[in-house]
Amino acid sequence: MGQRVGRILFSLLGVAALAAAGLLVPHFLTPANLLNVVRQSSIIGIGAVGMTMVIVILGIDLSIAGLIALCPMVSGLLMLQGVPIVISIVAGIIAGIGMGLFNGLMVAKLDVPPFITTLVVGQVSQGLALIMNNGRSIGGFPASYVHIGNGSFLGIPVSDLLLLVMMGIGIFITQFTPTGNRIYALGGNETVVRQEGINVDGLKLFVYAFSGFCASIAGILLSAQLDTVHPIQGDPYLLDTIAACVIGGVSLAGGEGRVAMAVGGALIIGSVRNVLDLLGVHPFFQNVLVGTIIILVVFGSGLSRYRRTVPV
Amino acid sequence: MDEPLLEMHEITKYIYDSSGRPIRNSDVKILDSVSFDLHKGEVHVLVGENGAGKSTLMKILGGIIPPDQGTITLEGAAVSFASAREARDRGVAFIHQELNLCANLDVAHNIFLGREPTRGGVLDKKKLYAQARALLSSLGFEIDPMVILGRLTTAHQQIVEIAKALSYESKILIMDEPTASLSKNEIDRLFSLMRTLQARGIGIVYISHRFEELRQVGDRISVLRDGRSIGTICSQGFLEDEVIQMMVGRSIDDMYPRSHRPTDDVLLAVENLRLLPGTPPLSLTVHRGEVVGISGLVGSGRTELLKTIFGARRLLSGRIVYNGSKINGWRPGRLVRAGMAYLSEDRKTEGLIIAMTIRENVTLASLFRLFRFGMISQRKESEAARKRVQQLRIVARSVEQTVGTLSGGNQQRTVFAKWRAAEPQLLLLDEPTRGIDVGAKSQIYKMIDEIAAQGLGVLMVSSELPELIGMSDRIYVMRGGTLVAELTEREAMTQAGILAHILIGARN
Amino acid sequence: MRGIIQHALKNGSAVILVLLVLVGIVFVRNFASVDNAAVIVRQSAIPAIAVLGMTMVLMIGGIDLSLGFVVGLASTATGFMAKVWGLPVDLTVAATVLIGALVGLVNGAIIQYMKVPSFITTLGTGYILYGISQLVSAGNVITRLPPSLLAVGRTDLLGLPTSVYIAVGIIALGWFLIHRSVFGRALSAFGFNSRAAFLSGLSTARVNVLTYVLCSSLAALAGLLLTIRVNAAQPNMGGGVFTFEIITAAIVGGTSLFGGVGSVIGSLFGVLIIKVIENCINLMNISYHLYLAVQGGIILTVIVMDKIRSRAA
Repeated sequence: MGQRVGRILFSLLGVAALAAAGLLVPHFLTPANLLNVVRQSSIIGIGAVGMTMVIVILGIDLSIAGLIALCPMVSGLLMLQGVPIVISIVAGIIAGIGMGLFNGLMVAKLDVPPFITTLVVGQVSQGLALIMNNGRSIGGFPASYVHIGNGSFLGIPVSDLLLLVMMGIGIFITQFTPTGNRIYALGGNETVVRQEGINVDGLKLFVYAFSGFCASIAGILLSAQLDTVHPIQGDPYLLDTIAACVIGGVSLAGGEGRVAMAVGGALIIGSVRNVLDLLGVHPFFQNVLVGTIIILVVFGSGLSRYRRTVPV
Repeated sequence: MDEPLLEMHEITKYIYDSSGRPIRNSDVKILDSVSFDLHKGEVHVLVGENGAGKSTLMKILGGIIPPDQGTITLEGAAVSFASAREARDRGVAFIHQELNLCANLDVAHNIFLGREPTRGGVLDKKKLYAQARALLSSLGFEIDPMVILGRLTTAHQQIVEIAKALSYESKILIMDEPTASLSKNEIDRLFSLMRTLQARGIGIVYISHRFEELRQVGDRISVLRDGRSIGTICSQGFLEDEVIQMMVGRSIDDMYPRSHRPTDDVLLAVENLRLLPGTPPLSLTVHRGEVVGISGLVGSGRTELLKTIFGARRLLSGRIVYNGSKINGWRPGRLVRAGMAYLSEDRKTEGLIIAMTIRENVTLASLFRLFRFGMISQRKESEAARKRVQQLRIVARSVEQTVGTLSGGNQQRTVFAKWRAAEPQLLLLDEPTRGIDVGAKSQIYKMIDEIAAQGLGVLMVSSELPELIGMSDRIYVMRGGTLVAELTEREAMTQAGILAHILIGARN
Repeated sequence: MRGIIQHALKNGSAVILVLLVLVGIVFVRNFASVDNAAVIVRQSAIPAIAVLGMTMVLMIGGIDLSLGFVVGLASTATGFMAKVWGLPVDLTVAATVLIGALVGLVNGAIIQYMKVPSFITTLGTGYILYGISQLVSAGNVITRLPPSLLAVGRTDLLGLPTSVYIAVGIIALGWFLIHRSVFGRALSAFGFNSRAAFLSGLSTARVNVLTYVLCSSLAALAGLLLTIRVNAAQPNMGGGVFTFEIITAAIVGGTSLFGGVGSVIGSLFGVLIIKVIENCINLMNISYHLYLAVQGGIILTVIVMDKIRSRAA
């Protein structure tokens, strides 16, 4: 009950903040701008769907930055060769899932700490994205692909719809399947989950693969929006995605955090960046802000569960 | 009540050496031909001191560890469990002291973890909550299945664990100290639940020390001591003295040297210390040259007391004076430099660094003492380590051996070596001879006596009454987070007497 | 047992280095020359300073993901102090290292007192530092630094620049600090079992904070020397790629991710190994981007082998 109240309060706070921003900042509350905010936040939001589950099982996925560059690079290069769009996109998604599975294997079977394996996979993916086209960007994609990023369907931007779909998938898995229950259980007490005979390794593989999947979608969407694949386009999104989850109440102590709230966190980050842009604040100062927010929020939530006796 | 529901026949469990092999020819065994049976609808209480073998026996029944010898018969059929899950599937459910649930999930999701009801792959939440609610009300409790488990009281969390166990159609329930953190009301409710279960024919093994409760809830009481079954009595109108005598009846060997003499110099004075909010404050003193013992059940706060004195646990209220200075808020680093030493009961995870060598472990608490300028001289360090190894008769090929390869006795000697190298004035010992062979034990007793004879103070927590009586000049008894007795006369220091204080309270 | 493993690891990285050099001599044109050897040494010197700090942090069981961004901040600061404000050289050097120390202090304090895990903390502070560097420099690169500053690192001594000798000196000091001092012993103890170390009277706070302070200070020094070397103060010098390279070097050299085990000589060899590979890739005209991907492969191989080895033990 207390958790639900917390979530409602959080949403109310968000609405209040939006209203305040709308009053103080010119152009913020225009429909065009708001839709733009959602469109830009959708990249972060889609990444956050996968990241939520990873953090819930006490992991982290630092590879999404590399995947947001690699996957669209794969799709993009194929498309430019004339390969049908759908197949190209599927190839990009497979790349993301593949990297995610690799992460899962390292964590589940070899006990490698998640932050190391995902850091490395991220770097390798980034490196591959650079190699594939010798460090150059690519662009000029078929219209239907660009439409995904910039077009509308029944008046709503396709980006927003994609975010809703991904969020829906995430919510379905976490709230409406036995797997979802077991994922949260894993974050709460791994011993009990093993005792019940549940396949813990399989769960971990799934979660990391799904995060890779989300990252691939986010990257493919981003390039559709920009009609470009820039080999290091993923860099800004890593921290924003983690910030989105953390703001959305996903606890680094594991076992807690809703997909919907993480997407909400993504919208907040997107709005904050948008407001700061409208106010003319330098993008790099925005980074300073985001970094500080993460540390503070983790600290704040850390007071409840993550107290280790001797910190390192 | 014809044929028993459960028969455990001549169960034996040997002690294991450091490489995991059982020592079959030793006189000392963890369990020695113990037999135990349980009838349908009965509550059979199991009592014994710390280390008597109760948990081991129940772990064997619960499928957590296998017996080395002996058989288990369930409803007439011989069984052998390869895992706790298998035991549970066959009808034996174990409710541990530390609850085996996920505090972050709600009640219903906890109960059905691993067997969530689905409809076409999708979680059937309606069924989930309905089944959970039905389960809980059949036990007489109206706990909302949608509440997050972590928000329930410990008592209710326990009910959920029991409900979960019963949902596997258990025939036997093992309950390990279930009333440890419950209020009087909650205990009553638990007992009425147990009666409901008994009426259903479920047999309950109940491990407890609380004599007041045993009258209310048990049908029979079995006593274990040093791994052997001593006897079983009917709990109708049982006499406490009888049970205590059964728990205790061994002689005190003459292996406790006593050359030290306590002085009047107060080395440590604890004044009005509260270990937990709400527990009565406690006060104690330790004099130079004195060995002070602390007895009590596991969970009575003995380790917490030592850790609070050592600065490893936050002090809630009260005062600690050491060597004339008030040390409230001092961290272990400062206290070690001031001459305090703490031997944890958990030597493998808190007393030693298993991956490091003997040399490195022995100097760990005295690095600054040895090397004034912060630079380590390998030669000096090896020499100092070798000296200590000799002094404490640690059996090892060289000081470069990794501590993890040593036997339990040698590991404990290494811990002692570390603290002696720190030139302490006050030693805080927590179960100093746990899991150690007799030879090493007597050496440690001699060392404690020597230390006290040199004018140091020793505060020793132990679950072994003979050891405590043999070594201590005074004994404090702890119960429920505070001191309930101080024994200063040797006549009062009998095993039965101390145990009575531990279990029941002050006696005249 | 552990002594043997460490011995093997230390020798292991030496063996790998020797093998690589042999491969280079045989298969790569222009590899085997004194000039090329000098190039490799010059390339390795400054990262070796940084890897010393990371070794300490890894030994205590943590990680410093802000290292590369401290380099960038130090570079920016150096440029400003030396050129824009015209401060004397010794003040510039001292102030730059001090800035690094301050960053380390913040990292250490957050990790120790706010109990935020090291990888989140340093990820966050790294990002913040990146932002600060970009803001302060307005994205500009400052070139043509004062000759007095350049002399610190570029003065030629027996064919090698002074920065190499500085690096050697620091590594020697580092070796003593980590392998022969009480602090180094504490690092190892906390890395293996922080609870036992604490209960033996070692001060968690002091060791923790000091470790991060040293790491960032060394990173700042590396940034300063790097700036001198390329004669340009760049806000995005170092960065995530540099951090990753340093972590790879430390791990390849035998320092364990899990804490407790670390080797200065091993980490030095790790840097040399990385630089030899880089050198070969340059000489063979292979894409630098391929090398980045390869680096990831190297680190994973080392981790996997480490795991297999510890499972078998």
